[in-house]
Amino acid sequence: MLSDKTDTWVPVALSQDLPTGQAMPARTLAGPIALWRSQSGRLAASADRCPHRGMRLSHGFVRGEALSCIYHGWTYSQAGRCLRIPAHPSLTPPETIRVATRSVEEAGGIVWVADGEPDGKPPLFEGYVPLRSLTVRAGGSALSAATGTKAAVEGFVWRAPGAPAIRLLPVPQETGETLIHVLVPADCGVSERVAASRAAESLRRMAERIEAKEAVP
Amino acid sequence: MNDDAMRDEWYPVGLFSQLDRGGRETTLMGAPIKVALDANGAAKVTGEDGRVLPVSVRYGHIWSSLGEPRKPVFPIPEADQPGRRFVDVGVVRVRCSPLRAVENFLDIAHFPFVHTDILGSEPHTEVEDYKVEIREEEDEVWATQVKFYQPQAAKSASGGITTEYMYRVPAPTCSVLYKTCPPRPGEWDVIALFVQPLAEDLCDVWPWMALFDDETPLTDLIHFQQTIFLQDRSILENQIPRLLPLDPGMEIPTRADLTSVAYRRWLKRHNYTYGAQLVAQ
Repeated sequence: MLSDKTDTWVPVALSQDLPTGQAMPARTLAGPIALWRSQSGRLAASADRCPHRGMRLSHGFVRGEALSCIYHGWTYSQAGRCLRIPAHPSLTPPETIRVATRSVEEAGGIVWVADGEPDGKPPLFEGYVPLRSLTVRAGGSALSAATGTKAAVEGFVWRAPGAPAIRLLPVPQETGETLIHVLVPADCGVSERVAASRAAESLRRMAERIEAKEAVP
Repeated sequence: MNDDAMRDEWYPVGLFSQLDRGGRETTLMGAPIKVALDANGAAKVTGEDGRVLPVSVRYGHIWSSLGEPRKPVFPIPEADQPGRRFVDVGVVRVRCSPLRAVENFLDIAHFPFVHTDILGSEPHTEVEDYKVEIREEEDEVWATQVKFYQPQAAKSASGGITTEYMYRVPAPTCSVLYKTCPPRPGEWDVIALFVQPLAEDLCDVWPWMALFDDETPLTDLIHFQQTIFLQDRSILENQIPRLLPLDPGMEIPTRADLTSVAYRRWLKRHNYTYGAQLVAQ
């Protein structure tokens, strides 16, 4: 079960959007994170801030099994320990230099992050595969109004005219926006996937219109 | 916040060469100001309420202050040295604290990663020990004997060289660097960073140069510096927090950062806290 508590799994990205050897920014309600995939394919997640000068680590670069900050090249292991400070190549960084890490799991093509130690594995949506993610400038109530369905955070199925039934996974953001992961039935063909993608975009427009109206006094 | 100490300092507010009677509207520490030429062709700076602000024209720029500067704009003796070419680089607006912009300018360890293959390159990442002091008489931060390997230290450099640097901080949002001058061994090229604080987390950066280089076209010199500062901007706009933390604990310095350590200490000593974050807040 998903919730906005911090010790539960939050779907922050789709596996397909994070290739090997890359880093990307993501968010949980506890703040921004740097998500990265090592050369061997292992995922890691840490606070999105290098403790040296505060630079976002999601702008960094991956070499081998480590993530380096783009500012001065300080290099961190998947466990968050600083391994290397290029300005002082012969120095072994003290153990106290580290970044806070998050639990991270991949399930069914979705990357899940938890700020604490969650019980159990993240959920699997049998029969569905991820299609894309999109950010909507609207909250849960506007989304519910736009779909005519309660926009439950554990995901819900929505059917737009001319599109297959799709599963939406809304993730509330600190900004008031909602990140939505769109899943389609695993047996969808290309044209159905295109229709599902367009349906998700029209849902975004609808929800944003409703949100904008609600915001007007 | 007590920004009184910084109110009494000079700040760049525009290029003298680009000023006309129509003038230029800009901002200084949150206050709207107007910079223009008066009927006699002299620079004039006025506040929102029509109050006439202090004005000085130095190093190609117009300088002003919301308060009452106790000293003239800091000296750059090389500005009067014959044979130098003076370059107004222009302006780069950066969404960061003016103090963060200066601190980045004082830092050489980022060269291989941010200015890759220009001011630095791997594996030449080591920062050797250098000397840092606060010169009490001048009341300036100085770093000397700073050395770094550079693939292309300046527009006039061909091939990699070990460049020597000196840095000064003569004012809270200004820094002057002296670096090895490829065509003229024994002399120093001067590159200054004049930062106009628009707000605590927004600034206009006005680089200025005094070089021994009669060869390179002006456009190339300006493009070279603009490239460098745009690379810096991609860093400066992504540091958390935007304000410069003045108390230890929030960030971790190493020996390579001793200039920044001295800069932060000097800021704190003078209560130069506009654009700074203090733990107590």
